[in-house]
Amino acid sequence: MSMIRRVFLGAAGGIFTAATLGLTTPLMAQSDPIVVAMGDIASVESLNLLIAMERAKERGVPMEMTFFNSEDVAVQAVLSGQADIGVGAPYAFIGNSGAPIRMFFRMSTLLFFPVVNSEVYSGWEDLDGQEVTVHSRGSGTEALMRLMEEKHGISYSNVSYVPGSEVRAGAMLQGTVNATIVDAGNFRLLQEQGGDKFIRLPVDDVDATDEALYANTNVLENRADEITIFVEELIRTWEDINANPAIVGELREQYNLLPDVPAELMAEAVPYYEEAVASGIYPADGGSPENVREDIAFLAAAGQVSGDPETIDPADYWTFAPLDAVR
Amino acid sequence: MPSMHTGTADPGLSEGPLGGALSRFASMPVVWRILSLAIFFTVWEIAGRSNFNWAFPSFSKTLMAFFEMLGDGSLGAAYLRTIEPLGIGLVIALGVGISAGVMMGLRRDVEWLGLPIFITMQAAPMAALIPLVTYVYGIGLTSKVLAVVMLAMPVITINSYKAVRNVPASAVDMCKSFMGTRRQQVFKIILPAASPMMFAGIRLGVAEGFSGVVLAELLITPTGIGDLITFNRSIAQYPHMYAVITSIVVFAVVAVTLLHRLEMTLFRPEKRGT
Repeated sequence: MSMIRRVFLGAAGGIFTAATLGLTTPLMAQSDPIVVAMGDIASVESLNLLIAMERAKERGVPMEMTFFNSEDVAVQAVLSGQADIGVGAPYAFIGNSGAPIRMFFRMSTLLFFPVVNSEVYSGWEDLDGQEVTVHSRGSGTEALMRLMEEKHGISYSNVSYVPGSEVRAGAMLQGTVNATIVDAGNFRLLQEQGGDKFIRLPVDDVDATDEALYANTNVLENRADEITIFVEELIRTWEDINANPAIVGELREQYNLLPDVPAELMAEAVPYYEEAVASGIYPADGGSPENVREDIAFLAAAGQVSGDPETIDPADYWTFAPLDAVR
Repeated sequence: MPSMHTGTADPGLSEGPLGGALSRFASMPVVWRILSLAIFFTVWEIAGRSNFNWAFPSFSKTLMAFFEMLGDGSLGAAYLRTIEPLGIGLVIALGVGISAGVMMGLRRDVEWLGLPIFITMQAAPMAALIPLVTYVYGIGLTSKVLAVVMLAMPVITINSYKAVRNVPASAVDMCKSFMGTRRQQVFKIILPAASPMMFAGIRLGVAEGFSGVVLAELLITPTGIGDLITFNRSIAQYPHMYAVITSIVVFAVVAVTLLHRLEMTLFRPEKRGT
């Protein structure tokens, strides 16, 4: 009895599987979306990427976005094929693991504001032998502070780690921290609350990648046409935003992006992009081998990657094929 | 943890289903344990070399990373940082936890007041509550100590409470019939009778304390072991990351095993090796 039932069930299962596979496989091949993995939840800062994705969708490239709670989980998702494109700058991961993922589009450059309490310090030289506070060990904020240490020939007595720009800004306001580094939004907050008390220290000649798009090499090969369309739309969107940052607000409404973000936060979108564009953080060219060398030099200063920027091969980290196809 | 006392030639082992063959091997438990570890490490090595995951290092690389960090002192320094909140937290959890548990066991009014709190604490997923601690106590040592206390204390308290409650009534009655005072009842009958179960609670509490301190160092601010894990993860030094994780696991297992041994020696003569 049980034997008969097993055979019957097996046969029925087989037929069912064959039927569903037969039905879905051709459909899936057509509509299998390109999944973009972010290491954070989407916010105002990701509107430009979302707009480019919508525009690529209009041209027939199915895309969707998914969120993870950290960048290295996003890298793992891209590696395992659960996502196709990741957002971040996984230089250290590629360098140390040799995994087959490559960056292909440079979305933004780092924009950080080293700030000091003007009652205590007035310039980089004053930080010699003093404590500075950065985001975390091996982070971009530490890299920048280390680079400045090198450039100005000073040495900090200690680098302490406090994650979260808003937390460090709060500590500056409370006076528990006198020298730190914050992002644009929190620098604005410090200026609003503290006036002249907090000054920004000059950072020149730092052109490092903040976020780039990367993908598995087989995705880059197998879906080259779709990725080319996506890169075209990315470049077009970046050009549009650089020409007129206010377009972000119009396009957000047009595509109904981030509908759950409260209105008061969304009101900051256009000012955010105006400021970002004024600071030049959205490169129009999508990246170049020179950028890769600069990134390596920058990250080596923080001890994140090893290697001489002059001798590394940019092709170990990047592929310029999609950008070349567009140009 | 049955593997811990196979070394004491437990007679129960030889009467397993495999009978004679097993009994001969059971007389050389050290060989078994080494073999078990060797198989585990070999599988790890093969898995690491097979590159099934780019972030999974082989055992040999992990071991090399371990010795590298041991050599440059970073591992030692990290352990010193981690032991501080762990030690302070455990002392508080033991002191407050045992006294609260014993009081709840002895007095009904304290039980009504305290038990719901500790049952809630034991059932609640503490990892979800740790970020809340930072809102009140900031990101310093206090928050980390509190995280250790929050994880370690409930099991210590509840075990102490149950231990006191489960003291045989006949023993207490005997004390009464010998005209023993309440003080004598507590110190000469109840506490000695309750101590084996209380000690088991302490062992479980210490194990929870390890979870607490690692959670705190991963969720609050990265210091000590948590810093080594997050830092090596962020720069994709996976052999180092795995070495740190393995070392804290081994450290916790050794600490809890030693407590288990102590428990056996102190309170359970019937289970002591021959």
